[in-house]
Amino acid sequence: MSQKTTLIIGLFAVSLVACKSEFLDVKPLVGSTEANFFLNAADAESATIACYNNLQQEVTNIQGSSQLAPHFRWYFGDIVSDDSHKGGSGDGDEPELFLFENFQGLASSKLMLAEWQVAYRGIAYCNLAIDRIPDVEMDETDKNRFVGEAAFIRAYWYFNLVTMFGDVPLILTNLAPSEYQQTRTPSTEVWAQIETDLELARQALPKRSAMSVSEIGRATWGAATSLLAKVHAYQSEWAPCRDLTYEVVSSGEYFLEPDYSKIFTEAGENGSGSIWEVQYMNASGGNWGNQLEGTFTNVFTRARGQFGGYGFNIPEQNFVDEFESGDPRLAASVFQLGDQMGDRGEFTLEATGMPHEYYTKKFFINASDEAPFGDPNPNGYSNDRIIRYADVLLFHAEAQYHLGNEGAARLFTNEVRGRVSLQPIPANVSGVDLLEAIYHERRVELGLEGHRFFDLVRQGRASSVLADAGFSAGVNEVFPIPEVEITLSGGNITQNNGY
Amino acid sequence: MKKLLLAFSFVTAVMVTAFSQGKAVTGMVTAAEDGQALPGVTVVEKGSQNATFTDLDGRYTLNVGGEDAELVFSFIGYTQQTAAVAAITEINVQLVADVAGLEEVIVVGYGNQKRSKISGAVGTIDSKEITSMPVLRTEQALQGRAAGVQVTQNSGQPGSTQSIRIRGTGSLNNSEPLYVIDGIPSGGIDYLNPADIASISILKDAASAAIYGARGGNGVVLITTKAGSKNQKPQITYESYFGVQEPWKYMALLNAEEYAILMNESRSAAGLTPLAALADPSSLGEGFDWQDEVFERATMMNHSFSFTKGTETSSTAIGGSYFTQDGIVGGDKGNFERYTFRVNTRQDGGERFRLGQNVNFTHLNRSALAENNEFATPVGRALNMDPITQATREDGTFAYSNFIDSDIANPANQIALNNDFWTTNRFVGSSFAEFDILSNLTFRSTMSVDLSLGSQRIFNPTYDLGIGPNDPDRPAYEFRPVNSLVLGENKWSNWQWENIVTYDKELSNGDDLKIVAGYSSLSNRSTSFYASRDSLATNDVEYAYLNNSLNAAEQAPSANGGISESAFVGQFMRVDYGLGDAISLAGTIRRDGSSRFGVNNRYGIFPSFSAAWNMTELPWVAEKDWIDFLKLRGSWGQNGNADGIGNYDYTSLVYNGLNYTFGSDQVQVNGAGPINTSNPDLKWETVEQTNVGIDADLYKGKLNFVFDYFVKSTNDMLAVVPLPGVVGYLPSATNVASARNSGVEFMVNHRNQIGLVEYSVGGNISFIRNEVTGLGEGGQPISTGSVFGIGDLVSYTEIGQPIAYFYGYETAGIFQTDEEAAANTALPDAQAGDVIFVDQNDDGTVDGADKVMIGNPHPDFTYGFNFDASYKSFDFSVFLQGSHGNDLLNGVFRYDLNTTNLPVSALERWTGEGTTNVYPRISHSDPNQNNRISDRFVEDGSFMRIKNVQLGYTLPESVMQRLSIGKCRIYVAASNLFTFTSYSGLDPEIGSRGTLEIGIDRGFYPSARTFMAGINVNF
Repeated sequence: MSQKTTLIIGLFAVSLVACKSEFLDVKPLVGSTEANFFLNAADAESATIACYNNLQQEVTNIQGSSQLAPHFRWYFGDIVSDDSHKGGSGDGDEPELFLFENFQGLASSKLMLAEWQVAYRGIAYCNLAIDRIPDVEMDETDKNRFVGEAAFIRAYWYFNLVTMFGDVPLILTNLAPSEYQQTRTPSTEVWAQIETDLELARQALPKRSAMSVSEIGRATWGAATSLLAKVHAYQSEWAPCRDLTYEVVSSGEYFLEPDYSKIFTEAGENGSGSIWEVQYMNASGGNWGNQLEGTFTNVFTRARGQFGGYGFNIPEQNFVDEFESGDPRLAASVFQLGDQMGDRGEFTLEATGMPHEYYTKKFFINASDEAPFGDPNPNGYSNDRIIRYADVLLFHAEAQYHLGNEGAARLFTNEVRGRVSLQPIPANVSGVDLLEAIYHERRVELGLEGHRFFDLVRQGRASSVLADAGFSAGVNEVFPIPEVEITLSGGNITQNNGY
Repeated sequence: MKKLLLAFSFVTAVMVTAFSQGKAVTGMVTAAEDGQALPGVTVVEKGSQNATFTDLDGRYTLNVGGEDAELVFSFIGYTQQTAAVAAITEINVQLVADVAGLEEVIVVGYGNQKRSKISGAVGTIDSKEITSMPVLRTEQALQGRAAGVQVTQNSGQPGSTQSIRIRGTGSLNNSEPLYVIDGIPSGGIDYLNPADIASISILKDAASAAIYGARGGNGVVLITTKAGSKNQKPQITYESYFGVQEPWKYMALLNAEEYAILMNESRSAAGLTPLAALADPSSLGEGFDWQDEVFERATMMNHSFSFTKGTETSSTAIGGSYFTQDGIVGGDKGNFERYTFRVNTRQDGGERFRLGQNVNFTHLNRSALAENNEFATPVGRALNMDPITQATREDGTFAYSNFIDSDIANPANQIALNNDFWTTNRFVGSSFAEFDILSNLTFRSTMSVDLSLGSQRIFNPTYDLGIGPNDPDRPAYEFRPVNSLVLGENKWSNWQWENIVTYDKELSNGDDLKIVAGYSSLSNRSTSFYASRDSLATNDVEYAYLNNSLNAAEQAPSANGGISESAFVGQFMRVDYGLGDAISLAGTIRRDGSSRFGVNNRYGIFPSFSAAWNMTELPWVAEKDWIDFLKLRGSWGQNGNADGIGNYDYTSLVYNGLNYTFGSDQVQVNGAGPINTSNPDLKWETVEQTNVGIDADLYKGKLNFVFDYFVKSTNDMLAVVPLPGVVGYLPSATNVASARNSGVEFMVNHRNQIGLVEYSVGGNISFIRNEVTGLGEGGQPISTGSVFGIGDLVSYTEIGQPIAYFYGYETAGIFQTDEEAAANTALPDAQAGDVIFVDQNDDGTVDGADKVMIGNPHPDFTYGFNFDASYKSFDFSVFLQGSHGNDLLNGVFRYDLNTTNLPVSALERWTGEGTTNVYPRISHSDPNQNNRISDRFVEDGSFMRIKNVQLGYTLPESVMQRLSIGKCRIYVAASNLFTFTSYSGLDPEIGSRGTLEIGIDRGFYPSARTFMAGINVNF
């Protein structure tokens, strides 16, 4: 009996197993897997758009934790510089940034991780696109353009990395698990790769004038050329910087917006002087930490209290004092006590509940313009103006100065001054005075747009200008490599000097 | 309530009616095993209050009504006996010992087992325990009743889920047990009516749960619902209760005057001028009590009926219920409603064939308020809102605060505008056929389905708290110019087919052999659809539907949806072998496969072995007549935990929605790409557990206890270990981590009878130690638990420590002088009145490296205690439950906003040298970051709670018979009557938000104190 029983049980089990072998092969029904992507031109375009998507990553989840970390260009470009203070509700609001502002920033800071991780996340999508799109059967012009866009964005991320951290791992393909632990590549090689990518992008990308209005926001020849010029400027390679900026100027693609105060309005977005903007829109119902179409910059930089903002990026007196009297750019850049803050009311200390007497104006939006639904806070519409034509003109002036052509340097600087009806720099201003005048123009023209700190480092002036804030030469030119990344690299990645 | 009062007066009237007494009966009661006289035996005339006891010689005398009377003899530890009186005047009775239900049959995985034979660690809760207190949700029936089972609420809001941890937190992912209801694995048990439950078995050790293989790793809760039995007269039961809930505690907060004084001081300290509105604090007085505003009395009600009947060849049970509960915050805005309907039937189809059906339909409605976050909950806002602002202005409109920054909007307005509705329709059913192939070989095939349809409707109406239109002082967050609507539909379906053969035979040498073998296949599918639209024509929630949007032309409705599927298969076998009565051996093996596992690890094998040694017959035990039963158990086994794995976690999906905006018209263009790395090696978490235990019954069953010691190790635990940033994609979970839970559980029960008083008293206690033993290569700790008011992550999981402990700075008092502060160079920004944070590593700065363990959210021990007594028709029970040694993190206050209300302890702030060494100075500017995460926010969360007190009265049967009612019991009860705790927040019983955020109070929706009255009637 017992044997018979065992037999029955055994046969029964075997028969059931035999007929069910396919049962566990459950494939996702929504979406594709990496294996069946990159099949056609539409996939290639989607993969290219995904490269852009990461540009909007501002307040991001740090990998391996539920913590959010903001990632704004003005954190390090402006607050760390002498243009602005951190602000917020007090020193304890975003305390890590407070430390960086005083050059006591820590390698353990989540802000460093955010900078690092967002850049490499962006690079991963670019690498994937650059790797896989060439094999897709599709129109060659479109294919080259897609690859060119990915190369441009990859160059943009590496530019951010190399200026933040110095030597960084240069990753040009998606990594296999055995390759996860990388070492730092000398910055000279990183710069060289940035130049290669931008050269490729320049060849492949259309001029702005050749694009339809529905493509506004996509990378152009002008953006790649201008970024490449900037890349040379950051390496003090003035001849190519001069030539590239001149190409942009002579292309006739861009001209200065006559009304400076219009640049930062919604109407001024992607305007005549706009070369490279990260696009944001306020028509989303987004949540904190998700991938967003809107920007947080508006709410972060708006005054607190009745203005409903968080009150970050408070212009310093030193910055306000930099403006010549009668320079309309001050009023376009900074709110002063008693100013009307759009439709949100008059700026008084009482109304903000904070002691600050200035606020950033460039990213101010009216309450009536906020997203009509969802949480308005993460849904500001202001595009991030990353490269403006004035920036290119001033780079050209700086290049010409260094190449000994003071006349051209004055001419191009004066073009920027002329737009706001300021007197031209007299012909007798020369030598160091002229260079100071160009530096001055750059500071007031591009103030609070995330350039200042990196300009000071590039110009070798950070240690003198930021001495009082605690800048120490040989250390604070770059930021600390995130501690966690050093650990995760198995120690392959080394820390920057002094951290 | 009125009806109840009527019932009471009626009962009282009947009770005073005298009974006629006609005939005297005498006799003697002895014990069957040794013939000794039994004193103290209750002798009752059946159906009456007429009773007496046997004297020291076992003798009794009782006058009974007549010759048709019956006598009932009962005594603790002995089986009850009934004797008809007839013409006899002397009735002598021998009572047979009932050894503590050793013959009781316990439901185990895929079968039953006698209690005396069980070799694993199985906790049981019977229907009597479930109904001894009105449980609102089935999970509550588990709370405090079984050692090693920790139940905590995730919110006090009606309808909120509860966290159940069997033997500790065994995973960083899903730590909830597997629920199997009448053989159907089920996600969640909120659809059950607790009154329908016949028994609950909790499979705690790996050996008991191993037959559930890859899904049993967190323990298994087996729930059996009531089914009728054969040859049973029709019986109808009706149960009902009504309750009033109320908040039992308010936090002591500043009043308006105190608030103004502190705000003025805080502003002055930061160099700000005091606000004009606060210039004269004394004129502000008490101000407004926001807690009083948001909390209210709320009602709850339950009606439940059941019908059972059995014939020679069939049985039927039918049950239905309605339950509704309002919340103590928001009232009907936080309501939960449950309708259930259930039919269980069994039919014999001849001698060898049996059929059964089990059908359950549940309809749930819930309206919910945001809970336990620091941004938008009515409770959090009520605690943070300044006491000067009133909820409403004189004209009755809601007011806004002139003092508080973002997030702390008017909670009364929030509640009024909250329209968040969830509806679930759930059908759970199964059908089985059972066939005796041979006399001791049975085949059973069961097909079951669990279908659930959930819909959600969220409507956000417009509002403007400004005084008149365009009030320039009205904050942005007190204004919503456009209304919006979200509608969602979700469908879940689970199909399961199980085929089992059972072979049960007593062998010729007296040994028992029982084999259960089977095959189980399960498929899941869930689909979802969401759509939203704004600018509705109406602000009335009744008319909030998509097609009522005015904005059709400009704004297309947003819609999204998806589908997700998974499948499981399992083959399993258990062999029980009984070597005589002394030794029971059991071995199980299960092979499980799941579509969720990576292709390289599709199948796992889960073995277990257990043995029990019944020592009762050993000479040295047998000679001690106070030991009735003694059993030693031991078990070892492995199971898996796979329910925390997502359906497609093994692969790298290419996601759409990586969009970007292009064009002058700002059009969203679709982008697509992978988000995560893929993991073809993904598999279950392996839980290995060793258990030893002792069961003993002493003193004729008057005392029994159960002791267990276990070590439970989770290996291959899934953790998302951070990848180097250069990888670019987000890491997917890998099987790299490990944890260990070990502990001791002890349960003791004593029951006795003294005169007419029968009572039982019992308790259980469990000590569990939790430790993370591995977190993958590099052992990178995991930070979780963001608390915004403190501006940091407060929970930390690292090797060698308990999961998700509190991590922050140790403090050492307050700087009393500026000189003292200046001398401490590790805190360069400190001044007198600031907190001294300890520089643990003495490196001259206080930074992240100086964070240490500042609290442990896991209790040292948890316990439950119950006392039940009955006297004649009265019954009384008390149940209390507690947790000791766990810490809570008080993250209620938004310190980042500077102007929130504060607990009264803020009055003890530092104001000068020697004023306090505990509370720092108050200031709008905080360069020393006094409010950074530190031990200042950690509190002892130990509590002891009188969960339930109940007093019942059963109406005399004689009266009931006249009314054709079988039995009627009425009771009054109170839940959460008293809570003993030193925790300052609203409720110390705080669950988790995900596995890695334990015991964090962000403005927790507290549980209510409830007073109830109820009635149970059997017809």
